[in-house]
Amino acid sequence: MKHILKTCLLGSAFALSLGIAQAQDLTPLNSDAEPDRMDWSELEARFGPMPETPAGTKVGGVSKTLTNEYWRSLGEGYANVAKAEGLEFVYQAAQSEGDQLGQLSIAENLITQGFAVLLFSPQTDANLIPAVEKAEAAGVPILNVNDAVIPSAKNYVGNVQKGNGVNVAQWFIDNRPDGGKVAVIEGQPGVYAAGQRTAGFTETITAAGNFEVVASVPADWSRELAFNAAATILQQHPDLIGFYANNDGMALGVVEAVKAAGKAEQVAVFGTDGISDAYAAIRAGDLTGTVDSFPVLTGEVALEVALRLLAGQDLPRVVATPQALVTADNVETFATSDMAALRAALLAQ
Amino acid sequence: MTKSPFRHLRLRDAGTLLGLLLIGGVFAVLTPVFLTAPNLLNILQQSSINACIALGMTLVIISGGIDLSVGPVAALSAVVGAALMVGGAPIAVAVLAALGVGMLCGLMNGVLITLGGLQPFIVTLGGLSLYRALALIFTGGTPIFGLPDGFRALTNGTLLGVPNPVVVVAVLALLAWVVLNKTPLGEYLMAVGGNAEAARISGVPVTLTKLAAYMISGALAAVAALILLGRLGAAEPTMGNLWELDAIAAAAIGGASLMGGRGSIIGTLVGCIILGALRNGLTLMNVQAFYQLLATGIIIIVAMLIDRATAGKEGH
Repeated sequence: MKHILKTCLLGSAFALSLGIAQAQDLTPLNSDAEPDRMDWSELEARFGPMPETPAGTKVGGVSKTLTNEYWRSLGEGYANVAKAEGLEFVYQAAQSEGDQLGQLSIAENLITQGFAVLLFSPQTDANLIPAVEKAEAAGVPILNVNDAVIPSAKNYVGNVQKGNGVNVAQWFIDNRPDGGKVAVIEGQPGVYAAGQRTAGFTETITAAGNFEVVASVPADWSRELAFNAAATILQQHPDLIGFYANNDGMALGVVEAVKAAGKAEQVAVFGTDGISDAYAAIRAGDLTGTVDSFPVLTGEVALEVALRLLAGQDLPRVVATPQALVTADNVETFATSDMAALRAALLAQ
Repeated sequence: MTKSPFRHLRLRDAGTLLGLLLIGGVFAVLTPVFLTAPNLLNILQQSSINACIALGMTLVIISGGIDLSVGPVAALSAVVGAALMVGGAPIAVAVLAALGVGMLCGLMNGVLITLGGLQPFIVTLGGLSLYRALALIFTGGTPIFGLPDGFRALTNGTLLGVPNPVVVVAVLALLAWVVLNKTPLGEYLMAVGGNAEAARISGVPVTLTKLAAYMISGALAAVAALILLGRLGAAEPTMGNLWELDAIAAAAIGGASLMGGRGSIIGTLVGCIILGALRNGLTLMNVQAFYQLLATGIIIIVAMLIDRATAGKEGH
């Protein structure tokens, strides 16, 4: 037992006697509320066409995990721009959504590789902070892309998380004028995106007056947990008229629970993200809608922003990326893989 | 009887080291950056947290147990330590409190296993959920930011060019090696893990030995948490996800037997560096994470096969 104490005391005493590091101060970023911001659609109008980037410039992206379609699509967007601009491009991700240290290692390993700029999509708000500090020391600019927010990030590109929930709430207000009971299936507790999406929905729909949010429970982004939670809520509130889930995976779990309860006609179900399964479910009439944040286009916008910053343009700290409520009415417009057509459709909104 | 297992360990350590040199050699040829001093330090720094956890795991495994709860124990220690620091407590007090939390969790695991007579796997599996839940409840799920710079400086500084976390873990490893090889506790751990009943009959304090192993593991989880806390500048209740698996992998590559009674501090350290070097080298070569996982799996299995082959040669 003495050894343990000695070990610990020695360890901490040792640590106490060592080195000094520098720290810097920056207003902690809140990507939804940051006043220094702009919408992606104003980029060309305010800052002109894309600046020339020297061919062969090295750019890199580090995202959460490639097991999730969202992050594969984001990488596709990066790759589109990298190819168009003739850049050298590397895209890496951790093994799984929870692998915080693995992602940190990957990010740190890339910093020494001579990249002109790196785009980080961290697992959590904190896990890539050492890499950001290291990159700063090495003079490599970092762009924080969707959806965890590094508090010290100098530049952030991503969607307005709160807007996702607001969009869905607005649909209920427009299409269910009589109001009624609704429920929210939340993502991982403590995750910024989950909290903001839920808040956007709940605040907007409660303000309408005739709606009641009877349940708001976390299902940790899991389809199975969402299924179970929705089944329980439906038993408790048989007169429920709608669900809002913080992502599409969970929404599809909710759809199954609603179908199992035989309430597909009565209950509208919305998700967030716009994954391909969600589009299929909307076409099949199972899912009422989703708020698509267009990951491929987001990736394109993000890398464009990175290149504008490299060229010395003084962009606002936050650039908001596109999002739109997709339902059976407009699903074919937004399902296009032609990014130019998609940009046009979104700009026409 | 006392000499032959010791000799076997040294032989096994040489094998692990050879594996590391082989992997390092391949990467050195394939990517020029790999063998530069900053990158090697990078590997050590990235391996230091896993190494810290794996040292405790090795002692527990040698005693015939397993500790699956290390990640959540680290998270709980981190959020308690961070909350104290942000609340204005002196850094030393917060550090001791974090270590105390780690040891307390280890004590609870140990008591349930020894006095409660429960299986280590199940107890620490329960702990995996329990301590994670406590960390989440304590913080309400949100990270604690705003740690004092004085604390962060401890982990972000260097000693003669070597990052402090590497120095701290090296010292801890030396202590663990001394404990295992030069003290009665080390002999007890080996004896208890080899054959608990025989050890009991020959007068080894089995209960105390196991308690010590789990408490050391808890304390080292807290040390790992403190290192990461300083590096991140924030305490997250989700910290330490899947740490137990990396630590077990490192111990196994280093020659620890999950049946107990066998394991090596040097082997575990080299195992950690192998895993770190693998991840680093494959990232430098821009190999996707899925293949890194594949490589890790292959190396663990190859290490086990070599283990089996060499153990067979010694005839027992």
